[in-house]
Amino acid sequence: MQRGLVTLIALGIASRAALAEPDAHDAAPDDAAPAPPIREADGEIPRTPDTSLGRMFRGPFRSARLFAMPTADVVGAYVLSLSGEGSLLQNPGVLTSAGVIAVGFGDIAQLEYRHTEAIGITGLDAPVPAVGVQLKLPIPEHSGVPAIGVAFRLGVPRGELQGGKLVDETVTDLYLVGRLRFASLPWLTLHGGTRISSAKAAPAGQDAVVRTLVLPTAGYEIAMNPTATIIGEIALAPQFQWMPALEPAPAIGRGLLGRLGMKWRVLPAIVLEGSLGYQVDDAAPTEGFDAVVTWDIRLGAAVFVPWGALACRAVGVFCN
Amino acid sequence: MKQASGVILATVLGTAAIAGAQPAPGGPPTPTPYDPPADGDAPEPASQPPATGDGAPAPPPVIRSPDDPGPLLGGAVDPPRAGTGGPPIRRKPMRFPVVLTSPTGWLLPAGVLYTRNAIDTGGGVSSDSRVGLGDVAEFGVATTDQVRERRLDADDPERIQPYVTASFRLGLEENRLFRAQPGMTLGFRKSFERTHSGFKTRIAELTLVASKHLGPDVALHLGGAVWDASLQPTVADGAMPPEPITLHGHGIAKQVRVFGGFEARPLPRSQILVDLGWAPDFCYQCTAKHDPIELRPELSWGVRYQLARSVHVESGVRVPDIGNFNLLDAQIFGEITLTSFALSDAVETLK
Repeated sequence: MQRGLVTLIALGIASRAALAEPDAHDAAPDDAAPAPPIREADGEIPRTPDTSLGRMFRGPFRSARLFAMPTADVVGAYVLSLSGEGSLLQNPGVLTSAGVIAVGFGDIAQLEYRHTEAIGITGLDAPVPAVGVQLKLPIPEHSGVPAIGVAFRLGVPRGELQGGKLVDETVTDLYLVGRLRFASLPWLTLHGGTRISSAKAAPAGQDAVVRTLVLPTAGYEIAMNPTATIIGEIALAPQFQWMPALEPAPAIGRGLLGRLGMKWRVLPAIVLEGSLGYQVDDAAPTEGFDAVVTWDIRLGAAVFVPWGALACRAVGVFCN
Repeated sequence: MKQASGVILATVLGTAAIAGAQPAPGGPPTPTPYDPPADGDAPEPASQPPATGDGAPAPPPVIRSPDDPGPLLGGAVDPPRAGTGGPPIRRKPMRFPVVLTSPTGWLLPAGVLYTRNAIDTGGGVSSDSRVGLGDVAEFGVATTDQVRERRLDADDPERIQPYVTASFRLGLEENRLFRAQPGMTLGFRKSFERTHSGFKTRIAELTLVASKHLGPDVALHLGGAVWDASLQPTVADGAMPPEPITLHGHGIAKQVRVFGGFEARPLPRSQILVDLGWAPDFCYQCTAKHDPIELRPELSWGVRYQLARSVHVESGVRVPDIGNFNLLDAQIFGEITLTSFALSDAVETLK
């Protein structure tokens, strides 16, 4: 029921966004009218048959997330974003990984397949797969006025084995996030929002446990130089807990996740990421901030592909 | 015997590399030329050295200032590309991320690759490779020989090696926020789980360190570290493992330590380095008198010599447990450090 409501809200917002986009036929230039100028000055990659590859990959490109937290931005029209990250040390001997594939639609929406953050029954910050849509509300940007974004992520079950029992974990999220910039502090960007999360733990052969959680999230970006930013984010995340030998059914609670790291735009279309991760695991309440051995190092990268401009150059479709 | 062969082979290879990097005979090495930066942040490209009357370039002048202390403590700027006629290369000052064993408050410049390989008379072999990320961070993977183990209180500690760690550091360069601001880094180092002698161990270290130049040829480093480690006996498949013993389980006082270092450059290419660090010591069957996990102070001193623009060698003495000052336990070590701007230059070219 709750998931249905959340889906309905997301679909409603998506429909409004789609209506707000100019129709391709309507936007086609009239034979008699002069062709509209290409909006390169607006920060859009020109999609013309003679655009060079160098110009295409010069961007500009925008990221739609800090590390795990979505931002109010979307990747942009005719742009594909591929990003992934790996945890070197969280699960000893295993490289845990997470990724996002996002395709921009218009300048205000994107579709994505991603791994969303949740703490599994084995105590790890293990990514849960999800498909989603993210929208940026078309509000004019001014200093001190937040940009607003909405992200919906429909969870796909992920199986975990605990005490010989298989548990399917699913997390479906609705994010409401804002991004705030000030003209007097051009190097600072603040992010904040709420994650409304429906989490489900379904042990094999038992009734599923479902819980809806309201999880605040916040972050900041500090531009250190033209290519690098320091980023911090802190968020509550759903946490699955179960010890089959002691408890009859799984429980779903909240866990604190924190990340501090950087993004380095090596090239306009390639971004490297690195961060420290912190997790307060309330399954083991004695573990606090001083349990440094449970902290984590994550490395990641994001690549932006201007597929619209490439298609225009290659076969003459999706041109301006 | 196998370990000794490895040490000998590493020594031969290291010596060959050092010999290959030696300048050709015929005169003393000339320091890398550079102009002083226009401001405290952005190093300017070097100017061409003036030509002498016979057309040969004159030896470049060495210019130092308190803001730009030179290639070893930072401030190195490469000369223009020879023969290409292109624009001169603009490079950030190269500052080392470690003194001898302790981290500094300086970061590698963006895209700079750094690797350090060391051997010592105790049979220890270690390696440390890092890359600078965006002038604000660096990532590295290393093998350390500093983690030690013993079975009983009375046993002599032995090294667990290789002990593989990964590190990530974020920071601010010196004079970034205000004129006298020291370089600062927040670093995290954590090991992969290591199974040895029937126990699984892990270590982790969170550090905050500040580094400050005191004039062009002297620098101080001071930092604090929060250490952590875990120790857990291995069990047969299917058996329930016991709860791991952790350092954080013994209270924060057991975890927090102060470390620091000092470096001075009495000669243009030579530095004297001293540092005090800490390393964990695991005791598998210690009695209540000693904790199973303890931190031991480690004192190192030595010399760093610049062989070529991107090749440095270090040698010195390390006392693994200065607390009992057992000089029989001291080791003489040799290290070779290579740095490369190749990745950084490639990125600039692509841009």
